[in-house]
Amino acid sequence: MFRHMMKLIWKRKSRNLMLSLEILIAFVIVFAVAAACARYSQLYRLPVGFAYQDVWSVSMGGGGGVGGIKQDAATYDRFKRSLEAMPQIERVAFSTFSPYRRQIMRTEFAVPGGGPRIEADMLDASDDYFQVTGMRLQEGRWYSSVDDGAAAIPVVINRSLAERLFPGQSAVGKQFSDSEPDDKSPRMLKVTGVIEAFRSHGELMKPVNFIFMRFAPPGAAAPDVNTIMLKVRPGTERTFEEALVRQLKLVRNDLSYEVAPLTELRALQFKEELAPLIIMAVIAAFMLAMVAFGLFGVLWQNTTQRIPEIGLRRAIGASSAQIYAQIIGEQLLLSSVAMAVALLLLVQLPLTGALGASLNWPVFFTAAALSMAVIYLLSLLCSLYPGWRASRLSPTEALHYE
Amino acid sequence: MLRNYLMTAWNVFMRRKLFTAINLLCIVLTLVVLMVVTALLETAFFPRGVEGKSDRFLQVMMLDARGPHTRINSSPGFKMIDKYLKPMKSAELVSAVSRPRTVSVYKDGQVHALQLRYTDAEYWQILDFRVLAGRTLNADDVAAGRMVAVLNASSARQLFPAAAAAAALGQKISVGGQTFAIVGVVEDAMHINAFADIWTPITTSPSSDYQQQLTGDFAALLLAKDAADLPQLRDEVNAIARTVQFDDPKKITTVQLWADSKLDLFARNITSSRSADSGAATLLAVIAAAMLLFMLLPALNLVNLNTGRIMERRSEIGVRKAFGATSAQLVWQLIVENMLLCVAGGAIGLCAARVVLWWLEGSGLIPYLKVDMNLAVFGYGLLLSLLFGLMSGAIPAWKMSRLDPAHALKGNA
Repeated sequence: MFRHMMKLIWKRKSRNLMLSLEILIAFVIVFAVAAACARYSQLYRLPVGFAYQDVWSVSMGGGGGVGGIKQDAATYDRFKRSLEAMPQIERVAFSTFSPYRRQIMRTEFAVPGGGPRIEADMLDASDDYFQVTGMRLQEGRWYSSVDDGAAAIPVVINRSLAERLFPGQSAVGKQFSDSEPDDKSPRMLKVTGVIEAFRSHGELMKPVNFIFMRFAPPGAAAPDVNTIMLKVRPGTERTFEEALVRQLKLVRNDLSYEVAPLTELRALQFKEELAPLIIMAVIAAFMLAMVAFGLFGVLWQNTTQRIPEIGLRRAIGASSAQIYAQIIGEQLLLSSVAMAVALLLLVQLPLTGALGASLNWPVFFTAAALSMAVIYLLSLLCSLYPGWRASRLSPTEALHYE
Repeated sequence: MLRNYLMTAWNVFMRRKLFTAINLLCIVLTLVVLMVVTALLETAFFPRGVEGKSDRFLQVMMLDARGPHTRINSSPGFKMIDKYLKPMKSAELVSAVSRPRTVSVYKDGQVHALQLRYTDAEYWQILDFRVLAGRTLNADDVAAGRMVAVLNASSARQLFPAAAAAAALGQKISVGGQTFAIVGVVEDAMHINAFADIWTPITTSPSSDYQQQLTGDFAALLLAKDAADLPQLRDEVNAIARTVQFDDPKKITTVQLWADSKLDLFARNITSSRSADSGAATLLAVIAAAMLLFMLLPALNLVNLNTGRIMERRSEIGVRKAFGATSAQLVWQLIVENMLLCVAGGAIGLCAARVVLWWLEGSGLIPYLKVDMNLAVFGYGLLLSLLFGLMSGAIPAWKMSRLDPAHALKGNA
């Protein structure tokens, strides 16, 4: 049966070549969408490292420009006191930027003495940041006022950075630097704690190395720390913003404040991140609909052309179920061949690592399985009716067909 | 002769209505997607309406400053535009406008997040906003730092519901702690320089820090007298960039500024080119290639469908061959037939694209989107249809022309 089908397909190779090329391209398109979905769902399931519920962020801006607002310790202190006096606010922290904002600060770090230079995202954050965002510690302790006056800047790093910097040993208490390799007196950073993960852009961000540097106002010349993170009481309404801004204006009237609950920033981030995928999926759906129509039409024509052949088979004893199975079987076989070729091409992507970690093996296999299922389903649906039509032909009519 | 082809084509299409419908549907689906993309690109790069003078003005939105150990990549600050670009000789008008930033407007215990731009008076002369009520901002407002604001129609409706545009005039709103009086309402606009919900004079900014900033979040619009002056404008901006002095001349040694058209701006964002050439030509080539690639699957689909149809017509083809028609004639006939179908599909597609764009405008996926389907889009649509017809008709036609007349007549090729 199988060899018979192969032979029949081979006999019509030029037509089938076109058909399988079409299926191949359709498969690749479905694969791309499926791979993106699989990657996103994989990322979504990874720990994000913080809790966004009941956290608000306030970005402070100067009149006409971003950044450049140098504030002294006293101002930060006044902000903290006046905000903590509000009954709706449980805790106040400062950082360079808020999670779910499209900002990144990335620097290279190394252990002095010729260690490899490792890239990591960084955030300057005050002591309360970890409590405000509900982060969990894996090892060591959070930095705090205990570290006041320490020679090295206290930092909290994530597991992946700890493993890269200090492979095979506990990172807590170790020191490294972010200065240029040839710097005579490098700025030292001392690890006080290790967290499992932190992804500042949220659930759909790919995991990165991350480092929190202690921001304590009187200390080192910290860069523009222009975001206030607030832990508000559960159930605080959005309208609290007006009172909040009034309070902030009492501290500094010349700054502008942009208030946003993290839930809102998160929703926006999801929308922006998923928009290209949705557009891609809609276009792919259109394409698939087209392929389905085309496949259906071609199969219909094929069975019409093959009526004499089918009649002959019926005349020498093939049952209608066998004809049905043959038509559907041929189509599935053709799809399998096309998909095998496509997979052979696509497997080069994870093999060569062309797309990096975004197309890893689990994603590849999930996407392959999903898209194979879609294409098989499509082939089956498109061949059901033409197959049924062919199997219903009576042998006498079919043999007479001209 | 063409008339005969058309008659034959019509008969063939009508004989197999189901397949004609399937063919047509595939063509329409493909062309709708391509035409919507074309119309969106056309609107983005060659806008009409509010940014209708786009062929006469350039925008400076990026600044690249470097030193031995430093690199700043940002938008220009107000000082950069005010001190260096405003005195430009080859520009008729120069405007400094901030990028939109989110502000909270408090009204009746509700918070509305709106996009605010700080502008100068020139901004309103370079862009042609349609004023629905009141007036726009003028030089006096800016000079005196009057607490006045212009709203767009949607925000006016949102803040002052159930009232005509004029009703918003004179009302006070509280924007991030400052109170502004509304002096004008303008039509919603999507374009890159026009997009915002609320505009206020730059001088109403809560702090005057912006006046000292060389980098910031401003953009400069440079209006030339006519389109031919644009190259001169570009050169002058390049020359000015070399004279820019940062506070610490040792830290920053070279400064680059680019005056870009809309297409250049988009290309520069994507290619992050740091030279005079923004990579726009490459970008256009890539877009064209992507469109062709996008047509590949539908074209293959049509090839498969057409091949089947031609096999049904082999007796007709046999007769024509037997009476002396050459292969070239037959190929030509088939391609014409196919192109005819594609142009018909293109016409339906154009209407459908319009409907899709209406839906897109209404859906709010892209705020304030307004796409006009002009002649250029229509021309691109026709071109796309013909190209698609050629792509999908050539292989089946070539196949058919190779049929052996004797076999074809017998009907068992």
